[in-house]
Amino acid sequence: MIEFQHVSKQYSPDAMALRDISLTVNKGELVFLAGPSGAGKSTLLKMIAAIERPSAGSVVVNGQDIGKLKPAGVPFLRRNLGLIFQQQRLLTDRSVLANVMLPLLVTGAPRAQAEQRARAALDKVGLLERALARPQALSGGEQQRVSIARAIVNRPQIILADEPTANLDRASANQVLDALKAFHSVGVTCLISTHDEQILDGAARVIHLKQGQLDTGAGA
Amino acid sequence: MTSWFRQHSYALAHALVHLRKAPGSFLINILVVAIALALPFTGVTLLDNVRPLSEQLSVDPEISLFMKQDTPREQSQALAATLRGLVKDRQVKIIFTPREQALDNLKTKSGLSDVLGTLGDNPLPDSYVLKLDAFSQTGVDTSAYIDALAEEMRALPGVDAVQVDSAWVKRLAALLGVLRLALLLLAGTLGMVVIAVVFNTIRLQVMTQRDEISVSKLIGATDTFIHRPFYYTGALLGLCSGAVALGAVTLALRPLNAAIADFARLYASEFQLAPLAPLPMAGLLALSAALGLVGAVLSVQRHLARLN
Repeated sequence: MIEFQHVSKQYSPDAMALRDISLTVNKGELVFLAGPSGAGKSTLLKMIAAIERPSAGSVVVNGQDIGKLKPAGVPFLRRNLGLIFQQQRLLTDRSVLANVMLPLLVTGAPRAQAEQRARAALDKVGLLERALARPQALSGGEQQRVSIARAIVNRPQIILADEPTANLDRASANQVLDALKAFHSVGVTCLISTHDEQILDGAARVIHLKQGQLDTGAGA
Repeated sequence: MTSWFRQHSYALAHALVHLRKAPGSFLINILVVAIALALPFTGVTLLDNVRPLSEQLSVDPEISLFMKQDTPREQSQALAATLRGLVKDRQVKIIFTPREQALDNLKTKSGLSDVLGTLGDNPLPDSYVLKLDAFSQTGVDTSAYIDALAEEMRALPGVDAVQVDSAWVKRLAALLGVLRLALLLLAGTLGMVVIAVVFNTIRLQVMTQRDEISVSKLIGATDTFIHRPFYYTGALLGLCSGAVALGAVTLALRPLNAAIADFARLYASEFQLAPLAPLPMAGLLALSAALGLVGAVLSVQRHLARLN
């Protein structure tokens, strides 16, 4: 499903974000990317979403080589991905429901159908009753759950979560992780980056990164 | 087709939502663009009113020949053959107007029938008009030829006066041509102003919606989906401005017509400036919307490329 082969990413001559990364993530896996800030976790996730392109090597997602993907093909790749960010990036000028509907509307889905599916997604993360609230009226944990609802509303094959618990208290972080694990349990492939060692407890697979390289000593 | 319609209605609704958020600045932009459009629209309206007048006037060379008052009708009529001989094989329309018909025409066209009725005898002579349709295609110096022809006609027996009529009509046609060109240049310049205003308006919108654009890209929106609402905003700005400009020009005709009526009455004329017909109005509105669209397209191409 996701395959990195000898992937490097260099932003400038003295800024090497990833060095010779090779890894495979199979369909339905729940994988944690662990490592300190600057280890290359976000860059790795950005490459899967074609936000960044590799400087060397190849990244293949659902059979599509990201390095060779034409700009016109990028939106269609992303429609099969659910992206969750540390800063939730919710649009504050519209309701929670409208935020969750957006991924469906960009695909040309009818408004009624988009609303129905957005409500269902909000229900899954336990926020249906806050559908008409503005995002800024919600707590950090609730906002992150809204961003999860937005990520899953399109029924993606892969969820990429970049530090989704970074700014949350323990209880909210656990709620967010539980939500992500619930989607993994129904067959969605999940990649979650974190620098919080506590949430790795019991994880089936953890990929450790250090200074842009796989940290095999940490047990990748 | 349904999906296409849905995407466009979403883009239009999206554009309207953003315009509603800042109605003040949108209205000011409409006003600025409308002022720029009002000037060429006024010119188009004036030319449209003058056009029927100029089209009635022939720009082909004409020679009027007036017989002496005491020339017998038979002699006047016999001159037609001589005139035909003078112009030889050229395509010339020779029209004989008896003095009685000339008086009737004068009464009908001048509106001075009351004054002419007081004259008693008919003061007008028999006359000929020579319409020299095809001279311009013969390759000869038309002006010199006409002058020479008029000179020959003056020497004919019974002829009182010969007048070359086309010069002032040509000057009027040339003047209207210059005015049309000036209007075109003015419209082109102000069209650029409209595009620049819309360009800047859309640039500001792109800046204020940067987060939304960025998020939309990350969740799979195509460039077309992101660009479309801005195109609608530009076209709406152009369309609304065009409507305001046309409305202002139409309203301005009222005081203008009041002034023109006093002036035209001196020449026994009922001339009034009329607003444009619905079809040209629709054309100008479409042109305004198109200018707005062009400004939006240029702005979006430039500023969204920077966000990629």
